[in-house]
Amino acid sequence: MLETHDHSPEATVPVRLTLNGAPVTVEVAPNAILLDVLRERLGLTGTKKGCDHGQCGACTVHVDGRAMNACLRLAVMCEGQAITTIEGLAEGDRLHPVQQAFLDHDAFQCGYCSPGQIMSAVALLEDPRVAGDVCTVREAMSGNLCRCGAYQNILAAIQDARLRLHGQEGDEA
Amino acid sequence: MSPTPEPHVVGRRTPRIDGEDKLTGRADYTVDHRLEGMLHGYPVPASIAHGTLESLTLDAARAMPGVVDILHHGHFPDLHRSPNSMRQGDAVSEVRLPFEDDRIHYHGQYIALVVAETLEQARAAAFRVEARYHREAGVVTGLATGDDEGEAVRHYTRGEPELAFGLAPVILDRTYTMAPESHVPLEPHATLAEWREPDRRLVVHESTQGVFYQRNALARIFDLPIERVEVISHYIGSGFGNKLFMWPHAVATAAAARLLGRPVRTVLPRQLDMMTTGHRPASRQRIRLGAERDGSLVSIQHDSLTATSMVDRYIDACGGATPSAYACDSVAVHQRLQRVHHGTPCPMRAPGEASGLFALESAIDELAVALDMDPLALRLKNYADQDPRSGLPWSSKHLDRCLEGAAERFGWATRDPGIGAMRDGDEIIGQGMAAATWFAGRQPCAARVTLRADGSVLAACGTQDIGTGTYTIVAQTVAELTGVPMARIEVRLGDTELPAGPLSGGSMTTASTLPAVAAATRDALAALKAEATRAGGDFAGLDPASLAVEAGALVADGRRADFAEILARLGRSDVTGEGSAAPGDERREYSFRSFGAHFVEVRWDPGISRLRVARVVSHIDIGRAINPVAARNQVEGAIVMGLGMALLEGLVHDPRDARLVNANLADYRIPVHADVPEIDVELLDYPDYRFNEFGARGVGEIGLTGVAPAIANAVYHATGRRLRDLPITVEKLLAPD
Repeated sequence: MLETHDHSPEATVPVRLTLNGAPVTVEVAPNAILLDVLRERLGLTGTKKGCDHGQCGACTVHVDGRAMNACLRLAVMCEGQAITTIEGLAEGDRLHPVQQAFLDHDAFQCGYCSPGQIMSAVALLEDPRVAGDVCTVREAMSGNLCRCGAYQNILAAIQDARLRLHGQEGDEA
Repeated sequence: MSPTPEPHVVGRRTPRIDGEDKLTGRADYTVDHRLEGMLHGYPVPASIAHGTLESLTLDAARAMPGVVDILHHGHFPDLHRSPNSMRQGDAVSEVRLPFEDDRIHYHGQYIALVVAETLEQARAAAFRVEARYHREAGVVTGLATGDDEGEAVRHYTRGEPELAFGLAPVILDRTYTMAPESHVPLEPHATLAEWREPDRRLVVHESTQGVFYQRNALARIFDLPIERVEVISHYIGSGFGNKLFMWPHAVATAAAARLLGRPVRTVLPRQLDMMTTGHRPASRQRIRLGAERDGSLVSIQHDSLTATSMVDRYIDACGGATPSAYACDSVAVHQRLQRVHHGTPCPMRAPGEASGLFALESAIDELAVALDMDPLALRLKNYADQDPRSGLPWSSKHLDRCLEGAAERFGWATRDPGIGAMRDGDEIIGQGMAAATWFAGRQPCAARVTLRADGSVLAACGTQDIGTGTYTIVAQTVAELTGVPMARIEVRLGDTELPAGPLSGGSMTTASTLPAVAAATRDALAALKAEATRAGGDFAGLDPASLAVEAGALVADGRRADFAEILARLGRSDVTGEGSAAPGDERREYSFRSFGAHFVEVRWDPGISRLRVARVVSHIDIGRAINPVAARNQVEGAIVMGLGMALLEGLVHDPRDARLVNANLADYRIPVHADVPEIDVELLDYPDYRFNEFGARGVGEIGLTGVAPAIANAVYHATGRRLRDLPITVEKLLAPD
């Protein structure tokens, strides 16, 4: 026998976020995933779904400044939190230095993983715990899959962005 | 003000014109499109691989919030199978229609499509669908091991390969196997289907490498004139062959949208994507080589067995490159096909030949060991100066330059050929190499170019940019011929309302598309010249042929007028040119292939059983690279994929019931940042003008071919273990011989 459920009406929960710097309140189903709420409810489709299981990193966003997989967070867990997506990086027409470095180094092909790569890169460049040598950067970026295999250019872009942001060169491995 | 001239844009390192859209999240992939009133589809997969669907219990799922309908066998419209013809342009990946009958042919085959108001609701309800199956005996879980298994499908022979093999003083007889591989494009397959009023036109957004094939197939399946079907694919989250031809989810989604009178979008969850939308099939290949003691090849026999599904007949032609690979008088290539209870395979980057070269280039390395000969020297010894298959001269072949150049850059001359002879601390260094090759082909293509009164140019073609940089090279072509700056050139691709363009596949897009874009550009310039020379024009009365094109302007008699001025003076908003291009009879005179060489260093640390690729040096001969930035990126990416093929990737089917057990990105491993070594790619620049006016042969597949054998050969050099079964995992390295 199947379990019985209360089907009517489906309950929703209000969630207050600071989204790319602006306050937003959104009514979500309890089982709604942050990634789907961003994409389907809030119109921010720059954050991509590659696996929905925390295995590819395409959905990486910043939650209170930390890089996280948006597919592994229920939207209701984000009450009061600041979410930054790829749409929140550039200032007007001016690309974020990491975006600019990705463009300059051709650090993408199809572009589908790029928002996640960039969000992870921005977070690691701001994280004092992550050393700047290429081995550490490769390790730190290994949660972001790129099937086109643009890894070498992504690495070059990140190390170049490090210079642009912090004026210091990544140590050689 | 004159625009900045852009001489020689073709061949110059050029940033991608779609880069900013992709890097800011603005690029509209199929999964990003939504429509007013749109419903969400979520497929339900079969949990068995072979049997019948006895019954579905849908009450619980139907009672879930937001569920609008559940499609399944018995509740699905009668449709027509596509003729599945390449010639008619309606090829599909799986010809069986969804829910066509109650037969189950593979694990994951759709048994229902839940359609609901929201994604959450559709997903929740899909997990409440209950199915009862009748499992049948005789499930085929993988390739058989006998040499005569399967159906003989292809055969090539020249000379007397068996006789020559029997007489050869040195022979080699080896069998190589490969696990099936998943393409894993990061954007999963997705369809958004709308039957648009007032005339119920079917408009489909699909992540596809071929909008025209899908349009034609949908028209046949839904019995519509092609004018009433439009397929759109502006941005594609990569394909690698996975998205060449339509899969059943698209048919189910379009049918649901028609039935329910609302747009429906289905985005395949990763697990279903890996189960139901194709893979590089498993292969078993036997290579027999016969050689003289000096290394001259006297016989090559290449027998392949590849898997296909119970419902389709996909042939992964492993021996495709073999007849042309080496100067050898006696060559035989046989291909057999075996049906297994897996989903239908499909072309995956360098289909057939990537697998085939793993076997052939591994065997050549084994022969070199048997002959006590340097494997580079053995390849040069058997160098084919003309195509031994056709007897025709090569249009342009510089494999020798690739082999020698990469060897020098790599430092091959300092390699100690002894097994395990090269060490660095705890690590044993292995060095291996292999040759790369892929055919060069072209497809018909049409294009349209519009010179606009605001000085901008619009180029349109119904091919796609799957991440290879097609948007950018189309703009480069227009810039080259008009002198208009790149920033003023708009490119539209990926829509069947545009002039018919080719599949994005087979490394054929560049060579197919650019000549058509060039023809359309010249046609537009001719139209502009005609306008400019008629009464009231800037060059009234002059012979149009006397006008030169210079930096976005027409020039004659020391006078110049910008395109924009000319059009404004005549009160015209634009002039348009059409053009098309198709392969000519060049194949009667020349043989066209791309070539390359990979040199690989691996490091094996036996103390902790760690195997890593440490560096790769590759020299690749693709003719002219239109945009060397994107071309190099593609080759590097292909090498990364080859690393995955060699060491990481393999779909695993349960040997008891053929269920796919690793359909996710944690259990099916693709290379990550930390796997990737230093990759040093040199693109030789020998334009192949016999192939097309731009001298480009295409770049998508060549970089993958030869990578896996180069790695396997390096592993042998480090460890003495000749592993003939991909992927080469640490478990296999540790297992006793």
